[in-house]
Amino acid sequence: MKILIVDDSSTMRRIIGNVVQQLGHSKEDFDEAEDGVKAWKLLGETKYDIVLTDWNMPNMNGLELVKKIRAGGPHQKTPIIMITTEGGKGEVITALKAGVNNYIVKPFSAEVLKEKLDGVLK
Amino acid sequence: MSMSQEEIEALMNGLDAEEPATEPDVQEEPIAEEPAIEETSDSEEMSEDDIENLIAQTQMSQDNVSDDNEEVLEESNEQEAQDDNIDDLLAGIDGVVDDEPKINDEPAEENLDRESIAKDWTDKKIDEGVLPLPVEQNTKVVEQLSAVANDSEEKITKIFDVLSYIIDENVIVQKNAKELEDFVQKQTVLLETLTQKFPNIELFKDNLELAKSLDGKGKEISAKVDLENTELFSAMELMQFNDINRQKIERVMSVIRKLANYLNGIFEDDGSHEEVAVAKHIHGDDNNALVGDEDMDALIAEFGN
Repeated sequence: MKILIVDDSSTMRRIIGNVVQQLGHSKEDFDEAEDGVKAWKLLGETKYDIVLTDWNMPNMNGLELVKKIRAGGPHQKTPIIMITTEGGKGEVITALKAGVNNYIVKPFSAEVLKEKLDGVLK
Repeated sequence: MSMSQEEIEALMNGLDAEEPATEPDVQEEPIAEEPAIEETSDSEEMSEDDIENLIAQTQMSQDNVSDDNEEVLEESNEQEAQDDNIDDLLAGIDGVVDDEPKINDEPAEENLDRESIAKDWTDKKIDEGVLPLPVEQNTKVVEQLSAVANDSEEKITKIFDVLSYIIDENVIVQKNAKELEDFVQKQTVLLETLTQKFPNIELFKDNLELAKSLDGKGKEISAKVDLENTELFSAMELMQFNDINRQKIERVMSVIRKLANYLNGIFEDDGSHEEVAVAKHIHGDDNNALVGDEDMDALIAEFGN
């Protein structure tokens, strides 16, 4: 299974990567991108089974990335989980309307990410 | 209003039912990360030799200043002599009296010291906290906040590297512990056989007891390492604070930038207006230099113009 982790913070990418590894995946199972532009490029090159993306990022933010993915292409139906500090109800609704399958507010525990990953992958 | 995970779950289950009438504005574009601020380069730091050279130069310049001062004093004396001659000349002119107010010609050395006095005053006020630090690269608020955020991210990455290294090493420790555990179990089986065949040999019996006492130690080590790993993963999770704090700092930076643009907009001048001389003493000022009506009349009378 291939996972794409998109976050402008290298620390966050490593934290998420660690949790993914704890779930039994290897380092080769996931790729990282530091903004929406780089993520979009990777999505054009590789088929991913799930996308974990932050919201606030430079160049192209997470919401724009989600909208672009949902607009068409090979990843139109790929599950997307947004992991962000944006904890407002309005933001959650905006993200869900844009097409994210689940939403996690930072800081989060490994258990929460595991549950959400299991949820969208079922 | 921040939402908990439970609320998000609830929201996701009933999004259509609870959807508000108006969709809130989409969060504005995040601000691109500021380039890292370069720290003061080594070339700007001074060595002991540089300091001594500077002190020597300062002493030389002080000597020069003393020489200059002597010259200035000589010039001043000449000037005084000339002034005396002028006074003598003026004394012969009707209407001009000796006690007329003298025009305040500042001595040359006072003019020279004016800048240093101003600098000393400014430094003192900065030390007292009355005046802010001068606008320099390392005192600009947004630059400093950006530097703090970037530095923090860099340090957190290094801490993460250390924790990752420990976790990787723990994997090796667990592997070695497993090998030791397997070895001890095999030794126990072997020693049990030897003890049964040679019950009179105490060495086999002693080693069997030792091997049995070590049985399970490898598993204990592995279990302890597992607990340590759990704690390490918890520490890694806690490092999310850095990303959250960074975003808080970026939010503050965004406010400051907008505020600076706004204030610049209010105070900006298109440059078409010529700079006019400003009055030093205006009626109503709390200043001893202000001249009153009586003083004014006296002065006018004194000059007799």
